[in-house]
Amino acid sequence: MAKKILTRRDFLRMAAMAPLVGAAGTSLEGVFQKAPADKVRVVLVRDKEALDSAGKQNAEVIQKMLDDAIMALFGEKTPADAWRRIIKPSDTVGIKTNVWNYLPTGPAVEQSLKRRVMDVGIPEERIAVNDRGVLRDRVFQNATVLINARPAHTHHWAGMGGCIKNMIMFVPRPWDYHADACADLATIWNLPSIRGKTRLNVLLLLTPLFHGIGPHHFSAEYVWPYKGILVGQDPVAVDATGVRVLQAKRLQFFGEERPLQPPAHHIVFADTRHNLGVSSPDRIELVRIGWQEDILI
Amino acid sequence: MASNAEQANTLSRFLPREINGWRAEGKDESYNPETVFDYIDGAGEVYRAYNFEILVARRYLKEGEPNLIADFFDMGTASDAFGVFTHDLEGEAFEIGQGAVYKGGLLSFWKDRYFVSLYAESETAASKPALLGLGEEIAVAIPAQGKKPALLSYVPDGFDLKKVRYFHSHLILNYHFFVSTENILHLGQKTEAVLAFSGDKPDSVRVLIVRYPDANAAVLALQNFAKAYMPDAAETGLVQTEDKKWTAVKNKDNYLAIIFNALWAAQARNMAASVVQKIVD
Repeated sequence: MAKKILTRRDFLRMAAMAPLVGAAGTSLEGVFQKAPADKVRVVLVRDKEALDSAGKQNAEVIQKMLDDAIMALFGEKTPADAWRRIIKPSDTVGIKTNVWNYLPTGPAVEQSLKRRVMDVGIPEERIAVNDRGVLRDRVFQNATVLINARPAHTHHWAGMGGCIKNMIMFVPRPWDYHADACADLATIWNLPSIRGKTRLNVLLLLTPLFHGIGPHHFSAEYVWPYKGILVGQDPVAVDATGVRVLQAKRLQFFGEERPLQPPAHHIVFADTRHNLGVSSPDRIELVRIGWQEDILI
Repeated sequence: MASNAEQANTLSRFLPREINGWRAEGKDESYNPETVFDYIDGAGEVYRAYNFEILVARRYLKEGEPNLIADFFDMGTASDAFGVFTHDLEGEAFEIGQGAVYKGGLLSFWKDRYFVSLYAESETAASKPALLGLGEEIAVAIPAQGKKPALLSYVPDGFDLKKVRYFHSHLILNYHFFVSTENILHLGQKTEAVLAFSGDKPDSVRVLIVRYPDANAAVLALQNFAKAYMPDAAETGLVQTEDKKWTAVKNKDNYLAIIFNALWAAQARNMAASVVQKIVD
């Protein structure tokens, strides 16, 4: 393959992504207490039986996948021990889901997460599952812990809809964050309602959308049964890994490099500009468990 | 000026109640630039970038078949209806309205000041003929023809006018051909731009023509572009880039013409010159 020559267009793109850590009021350093030299762990779990013959989520299998992933993430032997690493019985927990009509988080995932939160000893009245109503939800208003769960899909304005973007419903005017292809979405994570509360990020790759068309940016032609789930504490590392899967699928499907359009640069900026987490694969420890066929990354 | 409700009613009248056994379900929904995100998430920015005024959405249902969704945009001008159509030209071309493409269960077309997107939630043997029939009925119901942007007439020979993009925003420019994260050409709602390609290959020659509100704005944009993009050749407006291709920029009145990826210096210079020769404002 011919070596790519970097042009001034490439430099103009990269210059904008140069670290701007320390810019007044934008740094999120410390949110995840990450040690710069350490790798951030992200778990990719896949199961061939995650979907039934109609493409619907198989609730039992989804529960097992999430349990396995969270145990692998924290190095614990039981789901309860793993969950106790991130929540305690006195917590109030908001499970931030996503209700996008074409590719929602879905009840199997929502109920799996809720079940494990309840297993820690949190009563149901202190747990809420919500998306577009989080600002009006009393549980979310009082939440001490957030669990963030949503499907991965390409996005017409942000490049990818992932865990970072899923918090957009915590602002009253989401479009205020659309400038420069949603470059600074990570600043949402500095809001008091979110900062330091999100203990787990779950990016669903069960049926990811790797390309979109039309106003709704959806076509069934561009989803595939990858049957995977990414789990991690760092939303940037989780999203950065999700992007790799989508890009690998695009290469496989189109037979040529087709970068996300627009690029999901909000993920890079979440790292380099806002210090929310890490985006570089060499700083991510990717743990792969379960079904390995056509894993792509 | 018509209210949102009046505009929405006008659009609804162009939509048939039934097509091939699919029947309109419920009340039409309408959205303006402030409320569009309640309906189509972030992609609403594309339509806002083209100054859309109102969107009417209608759902068609048929037992045992996927739902069909009609999204009918009043873009305010024929130029912007044409422009938003050129944003996504993937697919098989059809002669519906003033230009149509079909791909993956989605039919898009434009006519007059309207852009129409017709979508089947999944594709079946019956859904494609239904979408095409629906498109034809809507296109026939729209009485007027729209005029394409005058900027298109300045595109040099040898560029594919079927693949031309028309837009205002630098984010849309970058979507089709990345130039710079920063808005170094001062593009915005008061500017018009066309981007044309000499072929389908990634290294094909591009021509970008921008019309600014006045000559001073064009000169300021030229200076900024030269400073950011070709500081090594700001005086001549011609530079060989790192990939050995040539970029040329030329200004006339309130216009800029920029050629990217030319193979030779003379090609870049001559193409830029041919654009400004055509400008007759």
